[in-house]
Amino acid sequence: MLSVADLAKRHSGAARPVFSSLSFAVAAGEIVALVGESGIGKSTLLNCIAGLDTPETGAIRIGRAQTDIVRLDPAGRAALRARQIGFVFQAFHILPTLSVEQNIAVPLLLGGVAANERAQRIEALLARVGLSGFALRRPATLSGGELQRVAIARALVHKPGLILADEPTGNLDPRTAGEILSLLLAQVRAEQAAALIVTHSQPLAMRCDRILTLTAEGLR
Amino acid sequence: MNTLAAWLIAAQFARRRTTSLLSLLAIALGVALGYAIHLINDTALADFRQAMRSVQGEPDAIVAPRDTTGSVGLALVEELTRDPAVLVVAPVIEVRVRVDQHALPVRLIGLDVFSAPAVMPALLPEGREAQASRAILDGGVYASPALLAKLALAPGDHLSLWRGNSRWPAVLAGQLPGSRPGDLLLVADIAWVQAHFGPPAGVGEARIRLAPGVDATRWRQALAERLPSDLLIRSDDDDSARVSNLSRAYRVNLNVLALVALLTGAFLVFANQLTAVAQRASQFALLGVLGLSPRRLMLQILGEALAIGLPGALLGLALGHALATAFTQTLGGDLGGGYFSGSAPTIIARPLPALGFLALGCAASLAGAAYPAWLNRQQDLAQALKSGFAEETASSSARHLWLPTVLGVLAYGLAQLPPVGDLPLAGYASIALLLVMGITAAPWLTQRVFAAGAELPLAAHQRIALQNVAQAPLLAQVAASGLIVSFALTISMVTMVSSFRLAVDRWLDEVLPAPLYLRGKATPLPDELLAALRQPDSPFARFEQTMHAALALDVQRPNVALIVREIDRDQPEARLPFTGAVSQPPPTQPVVWISEATQELYRLHSGQRVRLPLLGREIEVFIGGVWRDYVRQFGAIVISRSDYERLGGRFAASDLALWPQAGHSATAAAWLAPLAARFGCEVADAGEIRQLSLSIFDQSFAVTHALEAAAMLIGLFGLAVTLAANVWLRARELATLGALGFDRHMLSQAVILEGVLIALVGLLIGLACGIAIGAVLTYVINPQAFHWRMTLSVPWPSALAGAALTLAAATVASRYAARQATRLPLAQILADAQ
Ligand SMILES: Nc1ncnc2c1ncn2[C@@H]1O[C@H](COP(=O)(O)OP(=O)(O)OP(=O)(O)O)[C@@H](O)[C@H]1O
Ligand SMILES: [Mg+2]
Repeated sequence: MLSVADLAKRHSGAARPVFSSLSFAVAAGEIVALVGESGIGKSTLLNCIAGLDTPETGAIRIGRAQTDIVRLDPAGRAALRARQIGFVFQAFHILPTLSVEQNIAVPLLLGGVAANERAQRIEALLARVGLSGFALRRPATLSGGELQRVAIARALVHKPGLILADEPTGNLDPRTAGEILSLLLAQVRAEQAAALIVTHSQPLAMRCDRILTLTAEGLR
Repeated sequence: MNTLAAWLIAAQFARRRTTSLLSLLAIALGVALGYAIHLINDTALADFRQAMRSVQGEPDAIVAPRDTTGSVGLALVEELTRDPAVLVVAPVIEVRVRVDQHALPVRLIGLDVFSAPAVMPALLPEGREAQASRAILDGGVYASPALLAKLALAPGDHLSLWRGNSRWPAVLAGQLPGSRPGDLLLVADIAWVQAHFGPPAGVGEARIRLAPGVDATRWRQALAERLPSDLLIRSDDDDSARVSNLSRAYRVNLNVLALVALLTGAFLVFANQLTAVAQRASQFALLGVLGLSPRRLMLQILGEALAIGLPGALLGLALGHALATAFTQTLGGDLGGGYFSGSAPTIIARPLPALGFLALGCAASLAGAAYPAWLNRQQDLAQALKSGFAEETASSSARHLWLPTVLGVLAYGLAQLPPVGDLPLAGYASIALLLVMGITAAPWLTQRVFAAGAELPLAAHQRIALQNVAQAPLLAQVAASGLIVSFALTISMVTMVSSFRLAVDRWLDEVLPAPLYLRGKATPLPDELLAALRQPDSPFARFEQTMHAALALDVQRPNVALIVREIDRDQPEARLPFTGAVSQPPPTQPVVWISEATQELYRLHSGQRVRLPLLGREIEVFIGGVWRDYVRQFGAIVISRSDYERLGGRFAASDLALWPQAGHSATAAAWLAPLAARFGCEVADAGEIRQLSLSIFDQSFAVTHALEAAAMLIGLFGLAVTLAANVWLRARELATLGALGFDRHMLSQAVILEGVLIALVGLLIGLACGIAIGAVLTYVINPQAFHWRMTLSVPWPSALAGAALTLAAATVASRYAARQATRLPLAQILADAQ
């Protein structure tokens, strides 16, 4: 589902590269935890995979067609994200001016899904993430845990093959963090999607299928 | 996708209701003003043309004397009648006459009943043809219904028509049913009119209809070649061009003002969209991360602007139509400009111009959103998602002085260029460049002012605030730009108008030497009146007479006024305000003094000898000097009565300047009043004329004051919006300062200080640009468009008072922004920021 080959990245103006010659793959339905010290380059790696940042060398192939996102132009990357990738962020990033339902609908609108199917899918997903009855609520009236549930629903609603999560539980208390991660894992499994989850929490990482550790020397 | 766009636009409107609404209104105002001016002009021009045609008919050609006191000889009329290419020749004599004791001069049109119907159907008398012909040939006079109503006359009434010393006791035979509702006209047989009022040896005009199939242009050219030099030949096109030329410069000027209003609307959209983009940078980045393509993101921002511009422009069209209707009803078709008096036509809208103005409104709003959309595209998605709007991407290279310098030099160069087709197009371009120059100078000055301010021995929180703006001045620049544009425009208008008013004031002193004036409203004064003034019991020591005629020097331009005055040909400077030295004329040659407009329109100069079509022939005259005239925009020529009479002219004064005997100034006016009233003349003292002239002046510039006020309001509003947005964007920074121990009072002080300094930058640049633009208006636009020359005088007291007022308003706006800043709950902001 995701295969990264010989990836190297150096931020403009930085003396040393963040990482070089990284290679790994994530199979369909596999959930991989990415851990490593702060500042080591986990977010940078995720951004490269999502096409938000451009690596110096290497290839990042995504989906059944194994499209190399590095080679695409910004519009092509956006289109690939809209079809293939679901995102969950540490800071939730729910659009404050749209309702819960509308927030979840955004990927479906980008994919051109018809209105009645949109409504069905959103309703079903809201039930799965435990937010039935929240459809018309404004984001400002939700707690952090609830917001992250909305974000998980949004990441899954368009049935992407790859889920990228950057410290999805970083802003939550340990009990909620556990709940949210369970939810994320369960839903990703239900969708048979591949996932790459960055986390600082060892117990949470242990619950994934595999752990990748990013160090100054490379992946372990 | 469209659903998403609609959701986002709706959400944005809900969040920024006031700003969006005001942007919408500003666009509406700009479109409304532009559209209203267009409608009024269009309607007034069409109406004026139609009025001209209803009296003149639609002849293929008109042969007329170049000197309005002249005539077309009967021999030529005969010859034209015999021309096989000519279908009909309708000779016409038109004079202004007085009816009984009424003060109103009326147009009396003498026509030939046999030829007139083919050319001027609107002037046909009522009744059956044969009967009406008999009545008119017997000396019957027909009046338009409007005139009958105005003078309370009815068919069958006896009336006395008079002009100068000539009187015609006539009978009112009937009405002119074909005349237009407002027309005040009398129609009579040409022979009767000629017998009473002249001209003795010919007719006033010959209006010609050509036979079907004749090439009119060719025929006119052929005739023009063999026409004597004192006559001219005009076509309908010439007349249309002349009517349009009459008010063209005035119209263009108003249109430019309307464009300025639209420009300020575009600026508001710009401020609105830029702040909206900055505030929502992370939201837009999120949409990008979720897969919205960069192009669609840009279209989203432009779409939001269009959601303001389109309804704004539609509202503007409706408002413009209403405005145009209201204005034509109250001020007439010329907005108080005095070009087409007495017409209050109904407004008729046409689809194409309406669509054009709709497009213009939308284009203005899109132009306002273009830079914010571009700026958003430059944002790095990952970074914007993490920490919001990044300002480094916003043109740090713009902080140099070379761009404004180049623009300033270009603007100066453009101001030196001559007009294009009598319009000061290069001058307008120069003004636009000066505005852009001001805006591009803002980054440099903002950075300097704030960096210098940060060096001052200020409290820590104030220094931090100043340093912050010096390093990230984008929004500060936007706020300053709004003030620069609006203040520059206001200062330039105020400067131009006050320079002009001062010049008119001084000029009036020079052209009104006598204490009292009597005006015959373009009809000659009867000898009886002049004799009474010469009686020994008259309280007047002396008086000077003036006669008015006109010369057609160019068929496409309005006539040049010919003013025959009792003036000393060796000492004209005693009566005329010359702009330069007066040349001594050769003793045997007639001398004329031309106005500045004549000099410029016909490229003449002092000391030159020219041939003028005077008194039925071409006469070589010497140009003795150029004098200033703020009244006759299309030119005036003064000749002395002695020269005029020596050339064979019949002097018949219509106006008098009067000097009462010493000690009689109070009684003189009282003595003159009944005498003047008896002959329908007007008496005014110099003070009254001066007052009236200045109030007409003020009225014609009233519309500019409204625009100035609107511009200042928009500028201040832009300042408030951008300051508030700035505070919002820096909420985290302010919250951090708060968390570090700065109290609310300190924070609010810092924000206010920033606002005041930004306003100061805007006002400084605005003042400089405003004076420069005022100079372009005074030295380029006014002379090129209207031939009005004057010297620049900056009204420092009002300029500085305006600046102080704006600064005070800016302080209030910053206080509002500061309150917003300190209302933000610190803890929440810090928590939100991860
Ligand atoms: N835009 C940028 N320009 C320059 N350097 C950057 C940029 N973004 C990140 N870096 C640097 O790259 C390195 C990797 O950053 P990254 O955000 O990927 O770390 P991380 O592993 O996600 O850390 P954390 O666990 O704290 O989130 C850091 O040293 C950081 O300073
Ligand atoms: Mg990180």
